[in-house]
Amino acid sequence: MENILDVQNIHTFIGQYHILQGVNVRVPKGSIVALLGRNGAGKTTTLKSILGLTPPREGRVVFNGQEVNGMRSFDIASMGIGFVPEHRAIFRDLSVEENLKIAERKKGDYLRKKDFIFDLFPDLKRLIALPGTSLSGGQQQMLAIARALVPDNQLLLIDEPSEGLAPVLIESMMAAIHELSKESTIILVEQNFLVASQLAEYYVIIEEGRSVQDGKMKDLAADKAAIHRFLGAA
Amino acid sequence: MKNFFISHRGSLLTLLGLILLPFLVGLLNGASPADVFVNGNGQSKFIQGLAIEIFILTIYALSFDVIFGITGLLSFGHSMFFAVGAYLTGIAIKSFGLSLPATLGWLVVASVVQALLFGLVLPRVKGITFALVTLGLGSVFHILVMSSEFGEYTGADVGLQGVIVPAFISPATERLRFYFVALTVMVLIYLLYQRFVNSPTGRVCVAIRENEGRAQMLGYNTFYFKLSALLLSSLTAALAGFLHTLYQPIVSPNTAGLGYTVTALLILLIGGVGTLNGAFVGAIVFRLLDYGLRRYIGESASFINGAIYVLFVLFIPYGIVGTWRLKSLQIKQGWERLLKMFG
Amino acid sequence: MNSFLRKNIVMLVTVLVMAVFLTAAAQGMEKKDFVITLLRGLAVGSITFLVASGFSLIFGLLDVLNLAHGTLFMIGAYMGWTVVVRPDTFVDLLTPLALIVSGFALGDVYPLLASRIRLGLSLRRLLPWALILVSILLFGFILPRYPIAIWDVENYAQSPVTFSFMADSGARLPVMPAAFTEVTMPSAFIGLLLASVIGAFGISLFDSSPRTVRLSWKNFVSIAIALIVAIAGVAFNDNLTAFLYGLSSNWLFFVAVLVATLSGVALGGVMEATLIRPLYSRPIYQLMLTLGMSAIGIEMVRAIWGRPEFVMPKPAFFNGGGEACPATNFADWWANNCSTILILDGRVRVYNEIFIPIVGLVVLISIWILLQRTRLGMIIRAGVQDSQMVEALGINVRRVFTMVFALGVGLASLGGVLAAPSMGLSNLMGESLLLNALIALAIGGLTSYPGAALGSVIVGMIQQFIIKYGQIGIAIPFTEIIFKPTPPLVPASTVMLMVIILLLLPNGLLGKKE
Repeated sequence: MENILDVQNIHTFIGQYHILQGVNVRVPKGSIVALLGRNGAGKTTTLKSILGLTPPREGRVVFNGQEVNGMRSFDIASMGIGFVPEHRAIFRDLSVEENLKIAERKKGDYLRKKDFIFDLFPDLKRLIALPGTSLSGGQQQMLAIARALVPDNQLLLIDEPSEGLAPVLIESMMAAIHELSKESTIILVEQNFLVASQLAEYYVIIEEGRSVQDGKMKDLAADKAAIHRFLGAA
Repeated sequence: MKNFFISHRGSLLTLLGLILLPFLVGLLNGASPADVFVNGNGQSKFIQGLAIEIFILTIYALSFDVIFGITGLLSFGHSMFFAVGAYLTGIAIKSFGLSLPATLGWLVVASVVQALLFGLVLPRVKGITFALVTLGLGSVFHILVMSSEFGEYTGADVGLQGVIVPAFISPATERLRFYFVALTVMVLIYLLYQRFVNSPTGRVCVAIRENEGRAQMLGYNTFYFKLSALLLSSLTAALAGFLHTLYQPIVSPNTAGLGYTVTALLILLIGGVGTLNGAFVGAIVFRLLDYGLRRYIGESASFINGAIYVLFVLFIPYGIVGTWRLKSLQIKQGWERLLKMFG
Repeated sequence: MNSFLRKNIVMLVTVLVMAVFLTAAAQGMEKKDFVITLLRGLAVGSITFLVASGFSLIFGLLDVLNLAHGTLFMIGAYMGWTVVVRPDTFVDLLTPLALIVSGFALGDVYPLLASRIRLGLSLRRLLPWALILVSILLFGFILPRYPIAIWDVENYAQSPVTFSFMADSGARLPVMPAAFTEVTMPSAFIGLLLASVIGAFGISLFDSSPRTVRLSWKNFVSIAIALIVAIAGVAFNDNLTAFLYGLSSNWLFFVAVLVATLSGVALGGVMEATLIRPLYSRPIYQLMLTLGMSAIGIEMVRAIWGRPEFVMPKPAFFNGGGEACPATNFADWWANNCSTILILDGRVRVYNEIFIPIVGLVVLISIWILLQRTRLGMIIRAGVQDSQMVEALGINVRRVFTMVFALGVGLASLGGVLAAPSMGLSNLMGESLLLNALIALAIGGLTSYPGAALGSVIVGMIQQFIIKYGQIGIAIPFTEIIFKPTPPLVPASTVMLMVIILLLLPNGLLGKKE
């Protein structure tokens, strides 16, 4: 199967700290890949390195057959990668609608995708005029994902979507992500193994800045020992 | 013991050179050491004067390094520390006829008070806001010094002049003595700072510069460490101001302005921010450059000074000493290659 | 209602305090004095706002504390002065400046060119330096030989002060045709263009990240404009000069404002692209760089325009005199263009105390619309909070950075040229204004746009009222003493207010918590 994204042995430094020391991720087109690992293992940095926000010093990142490492972040993003960062990063001074509009890459993106987005997240529709700050945590998470859907992205990088959400909201979040995976490929960083195992098809385990194991999610789910060893508790 | 000499050979050689400097310059101009001893006019006396200014600038730059380079507090009101020392010395001697030790005593009191004043705002404001608040405090002092209300004491915008320096240390007649006093003070301050940087307190200060949050998490009350750095800085800068007043015939109100803080910043930038030797190297380069430029191209000297400053910021951000430390291995290798080519 | 109160409590308290302060201030002086002082406060506030708003936009989005902003304000004033007093110099300068800018206007083409060049590593690292050196040498050769009508700072009869007096009294200088002696006109033209393109290409090589550039006609608009200006400057040199000399002082003033603002925009853009951009990873050094730029700018102004202070002539529209003046009402003023107008028995200078506040208000509103209603404004507001996230959305934030820097500097230059006829020109005007703007921003909130306006007005009012009371004195209640605040109290009082407000509210009155 064709890989939409191929991360080959990247090394990333933040300041003088060697955060990523060889990470490999292969993402088949149309799949959901979960990055697993403990806190501080380097999952978020991997996402940021793909986008060039923390540019890798060594290694290659190939997106759709084109090498993108070294390119500037917005150029990489405009090739069709959407980013849903940790802690949502909603723009406080912008209204909900502006938060969506700002993600337009072509004029009219927002109008075209509006119905699709509001079908997926009906809550957002009635909040449209409110400032970004007045949303609850769950609504902010929906807005952050919705923002990544405005332009035509082929790949979505979603960081910790379930963090800090009530169980009920996690359910609807999962449903939404599942819905999205029909349209685009997704890389998911997820602490909650239950969520990750239900959504993702493939997994990569990152430990101390290295990718140590990958494969099909259903194999990992069966391997209780591996889960315990790499992720602490299941 | 032998190790001590080897590992400190650079500093010791520099010190030796500075002790011999007045006599060497004298010899080069045909003045015997005896002439130099009695402070005869000539090249040696002039060079001593330039060196004294450099020593004072070094002390002043060091005082800025401890808060900016070591602790990471950017203060735009630092010239106030210097000017308080300079003006207080002048006023104490001229208007109140105090002796030098008594003046020094008052100086300590004043430095502690102003460090506490700056410290007062420390817990409230951080980063850029701290720079602005200190800029505000500094400019209030600058304005007060310039104002005609206190003109009787400060000389308003003309500057404080007519301070009668005790004869035994007068820079006019006892230049050589003054030279060695200034040199001694500078060396002592330098050693003190070296101790401070390597002390547990100094290490915490460096940690605060790197990441204040982490230092706090480790259980240090960063406020006290920052305050101690401010205290040390304030005392040192006041001492530099003290020497400045004794040496210079006039204390200009410019010493209280933002420009004088920029001077300290410039010296550190040339020498290397956060390195103690950098203050000395920077002061030498700064003073000689300023002197040379003013002498040979006159008016546009400040323009070229500014351009050099910008070039340093853009291309040599770690300064001379900092870059030397980073690249010393490469420089050494290059040097050896060069020697091999000739030998 | 309750939540509205809670949200805007600081704003309401501020307005209340201001009202109390103004009422108290009104007790001690006559009505006409009060009106004049109030308008003067607004005028100083408006000029401060023009500098402060640009400064705050730049700081908010780029995190650059541009300490050279005051100097750029000053340069704007001197630019405007040059256009009004020496139009011939301005026309002569047009071509070289347009040519220098045109190299940088080609910015998007260079990466494409760079990707075609295949070189070894060491050569590749040497290339930018070599190009910049070549460019500097070319500039150094041609610029001194380029004929520019100029004054002589050293010679009093030819000094800016003399020209300023002459312009004030309406005397015009003869038009001198530009004569190329040592270099021919075409070679100078092509040489400068080449030098600028080589230099800009060299600088662009420092950023070696590969990128996708799709060239379209849009990339060539700015260079086309620059080239047209350059050619026009050379081809119609004498006609243009004669045209400018023939203009009424109103139109000339308008041209001056336009030129000063646009050159501020160009200067800001070039400054961000060349000096500020390499230092985003080292903010403290950026700060030191702007500090150095400020010193260099002041020295440059001293070298070119000299140290004496002078005043830019006011446009005739605001400078009428004669029988009917001062005007008693607006229609009267419109008919006679009086320099002063009577408002509540106070003689108010129309340019200083009415025109400038109006321009300030217009700018306040237009920037507000830009921020709230356009896509660029949306990106700026988002970028102030998290520019990395904006970039991750696929938006070229760096380009927005350059635009905002250019806009900010343009606003400062506009402030400078507007202030030139009322405050006069001096080497120190930038520094004192920057201090005012910093205080205003610290009071209002460093990154808050409404805060910049509020802070500027507060600073302007306080200063003007203290100056006025310095003249008439304050009668201290229940005593015979009349207290006269002295001039040093003017800056000192606002600085103290800033320190107090920062200690109470570290983020200023309207600033947001980080």
